[in-house]
Amino acid sequence: METFEPVIVAFVCNWCTYTAADLAGTSRLSYPTNIRLIRVMCTGMVDPQYVIKAFLEGADGVLISGCHPGDCHYINGNYKARRRIKLLKEILPRFGIERDRLRLTWIGASDGIEFAEIMTQLNDQIIEMGPSQTRLNKAI
Amino acid sequence: MMIKIEQEDNSLTKGLQQFFKRLLESEEIDALFLPVRLKDSFSIMPSLVTDPAQIEAAVPLSPSFPLNSGRMVSRLSYKESGRKTAVLLRPCEIRAFIELIKLKQGSRQELILIGIDCPKALSLSDYAAYMEKDPLDDDAYIQKVFSANEETLNGFNFSSACNTCENPFPVNTDMNILLQGVDFSDGMIVESGSEAGRNILESLNMSEASMPEKREEIMAQIKEVNSKANEAMVEDITEKTDSILKLNAFFDRCINCYNCRNMCPVCYCKECVFNTDVFYHQPVQYHQWAEKKGLVKLPTDTVFYHLTRLAHISHACVGCGQCSNACPSDINVFEVFKSVAQTTQAAFGYSPGIDENEPPPLSVFNEREFEDIVGIK
Repeated sequence: METFEPVIVAFVCNWCTYTAADLAGTSRLSYPTNIRLIRVMCTGMVDPQYVIKAFLEGADGVLISGCHPGDCHYINGNYKARRRIKLLKEILPRFGIERDRLRLTWIGASDGIEFAEIMTQLNDQIIEMGPSQTRLNKAI
Repeated sequence: MMIKIEQEDNSLTKGLQQFFKRLLESEEIDALFLPVRLKDSFSIMPSLVTDPAQIEAAVPLSPSFPLNSGRMVSRLSYKESGRKTAVLLRPCEIRAFIELIKLKQGSRQELILIGIDCPKALSLSDYAAYMEKDPLDDDAYIQKVFSANEETLNGFNFSSACNTCENPFPVNTDMNILLQGVDFSDGMIVESGSEAGRNILESLNMSEASMPEKREEIMAQIKEVNSKANEAMVEDITEKTDSILKLNAFFDRCINCYNCRNMCPVCYCKECVFNTDVFYHQPVQYHQWAEKKGLVKLPTDTVFYHLTRLAHISHACVGCGQCSNACPSDINVFEVFKSVAQTTQAAFGYSPGIDENEPPPLSVFNEREFEDIVGIK
């Protein structure tokens, strides 16, 4: 049987989660290669359409990850991101994209170990959910 | 305060025209914005009137709803004009305008907002067909909609936006023209909604009226009927579009004309991302998509466009239905938007177009909220 290799798109903020990913790398920790990191300056700049586009292009999961509340380098970008993710979690399930395919986490710059753990867990969860319907129906 | 508008020559429309004429002739008002029947035409278009003699072409209540005038009032008010304008709007147009005020694209400063109980509307294409075939005169139409509360008009269904509207009564205005529950033999009633509205009504020296007894009850009945129709509509459209594949089929005739966006009164961006280079793809991009999938339909990004618009503005959707009206491919865009808008508005506890001091939900945040959506457990 062919094993399912999910595609997970992760929008990570420059100051916290990307730095944590960097730390995980320099600490020689490993995490699944299915996760494609896209570095953004702040989670507050992730327009809902980036997430929608990722799903429509066949992503099996999308992660947005930034600084812990209160730690945002732009003061409140992560709070704004939280509202937008809330919004998407209301809209996407209505069209059959399961709520849990979209995730939001806070991973601080010094949390290299936590970063690697969360990526592994997320990958396992998405594998369990199976491929997303947009991937299954290629000609969308 | 409430005043009475008597019929004129046994006509409700003429009575209303007379009221507007007095308003325009008064010191307080420099111009009126209301639907007017254009010369030698059956088209009724919102117009800015300054000559009281032109009021006799005004048709305050009709099944014509060519566009959401909230957008037009925004054009009249986004900067000072030095003139006081009274604007007559349907309830969904008022809601749209209030949403635009929040976005600094309009102001009440120089306006007197006049609301009416909604006279319902036909879709644009149905209205043209209805006018070809023996249409009712303006008064008969009012009688039919408000006294008989009939659901069809010479065999044409009212637009689904109207039939499923849970708020067909104006709120947060300077004055309202009341029609539901009013005994027309006794005239119509204007109720003030603000200090400014009250002052103007007082200055007109018209006879006072009182709230019709049956009104509350009739309003509740209409809300209930429409709310049931709305539930059925939402259930039906949700079933029709509950997967991406079905949604794709629903929008498969979409030609990316963006008319629904252009006519949406709350789609507020001055420059839309869909008009930018982001979507002006390189030729090689189309080939890559085709090679990856074996086939790529053009124009691309149609479902993407609608989903993005849902994410951007569904919280502010006022349910006017003009997106469906504007669609040349006859896609019922409204039903998808209304069904999603209900969910997103409930998620943020937001009621669009009611209070201009209530901030749009995506422009604010609280430190402690929605903590359940964070984390991967």
